[in-house]
Amino acid sequence: MADADKKVIELFYDTISPYSWIAFEVLCRYRSRWNIDLRLRPFSLAAVVTETGNSPPGRVPAKLKWMGKDLMRQAYFYKIPFRGRKDPNNDMANKHNINVMLLLTAVTMDCPQHLESLTRELWLRFWSREEDITQPASLEAAATAAGIPADQTAALLAKLQDQTVKARLTKTTQEALRHGAFGAPTIVAHVGGKPHMYWGSDRFLLIADLLGEEWLGPLTELAHL
Amino acid sequence: PGRWGSSNMAAPVQARKTVEFFYDVLSPYTWLAFEVMCRYQQKWNIDLKLRPFFLAGIMKGADNRPPAMVPAKGQYMTKDVLMLTDMYKVPFNWPSNPTEVMFVKGSVNAGRFLTTVDMNCDQYLEELTRQLFLRIYYRDEDITEPASLLSAAMKAGIPEDLAKQLLSTIKDQTVKDRLRETTQTALDYGAFGSPTIVAHVDGKPKMFFGSDRFELMAHMLGEKWHGPLPELAKAKI
Repeated sequence: MADADKKVIELFYDTISPYSWIAFEVLCRYRSRWNIDLRLRPFSLAAVVTETGNSPPGRVPAKLKWMGKDLMRQAYFYKIPFRGRKDPNNDMANKHNINVMLLLTAVTMDCPQHLESLTRELWLRFWSREEDITQPASLEAAATAAGIPADQTAALLAKLQDQTVKARLTKTTQEALRHGAFGAPTIVAHVGGKPHMYWGSDRFLLIADLLGEEWLGPLTELAHL
Repeated sequence: PGRWGSSNMAAPVQARKTVEFFYDVLSPYTWLAFEVMCRYQQKWNIDLKLRPFFLAGIMKGADNRPPAMVPAKGQYMTKDVLMLTDMYKVPFNWPSNPTEVMFVKGSVNAGRFLTTVDMNCDQYLEELTRQLFLRIYYRDEDITEPASLLSAAMKAGIPEDLAKQLLSTIKDQTVKDRLRETTQTALDYGAFGSPTIVAHVDGKPKMFFGSDRFELMAHMLGEKWHGPLPELAKAKI
């Protein structure tokens, strides 16, 4: 199939967002089933939430409780090793930070071939193994586990506070906002010369319909983990 | 359990799984979920129990807020509801003044009317629910006035004299109490919005929120998800 025929699907995500992990794994699996060109776009969920006047869903206790159960069920259904955290609300506020998304942005700019594996490794650290991602040593460990060579890792970590990297993260986030984003994941499918935005990891039936493709379920046989 | 030597040589029949559908007709996504559950009632080995509740009571009880208070989210949901109802072939139209419909006029009378029908002649509950959805979200008609509720009842096949009698009960304490109890039952299951669907699997209640968990629900019920099933659509326009 000619690349020109492939429909571009952009996944705007932040590794603080567990539902984004689901969308990420599903879209990675569907690359081999649908005629799509998947573009990973790490962005800042915190900035999107602030800009749109939104608030984290965990503000409503009953909703937070349900989301915990929902994510465990979906993790089982999609065969994704999501294990939750003992204190998700507190950790999302205090144990995640912008350096993670700056690192993913730097990888997008300098060595995008590692973007998928590093993205996955960061989700595994935070949402599967409840490990730290705030310290430089933790980011280094994640990059190494993702297969990024040591010298490249050092270079990436050294440039996290560079204006170019911050500007790129801001630019990606602004693009998502222009598409109407208010949360994560935000999926933008480009069909018929128009962008079609979807929020969440539960609109794949609609997306399949738009793409003229068939929804084949969780495709757990293609699970990466 | 199987019955050996029975005169009925059929294989052992699995007991139907009870699925409780807690809902308020004020919610657009709820109409979608309602029609899907009515279609799947014919496909899955389930016993669908409609449980009209009071969304304003749920929001208060769970300390929740309507989603459209975030403008970008409201804009997205406006399109989302249209895309989903189109795919599922539910004849949804946004009312000309959704804010007035959802936040000013509300649904307390509709909820009480559905409740009294549930208490007295529940064989009409499904179709009355559908007729109320068609009023509010297909024809942009009122659902708060007695004449509106009467019209919906008659379109649902309820004989006129019975409909008028039921209408006269909506301020009865027993009806108010029942609506409040159903709302509290949903809150006890962990509800924070509409629809709240509780599937009873192996003696355990499994709560689902929203109209986008059917594939997962199928998996947990040991059933198969067949997508929108438009050929089983019942909402006639």
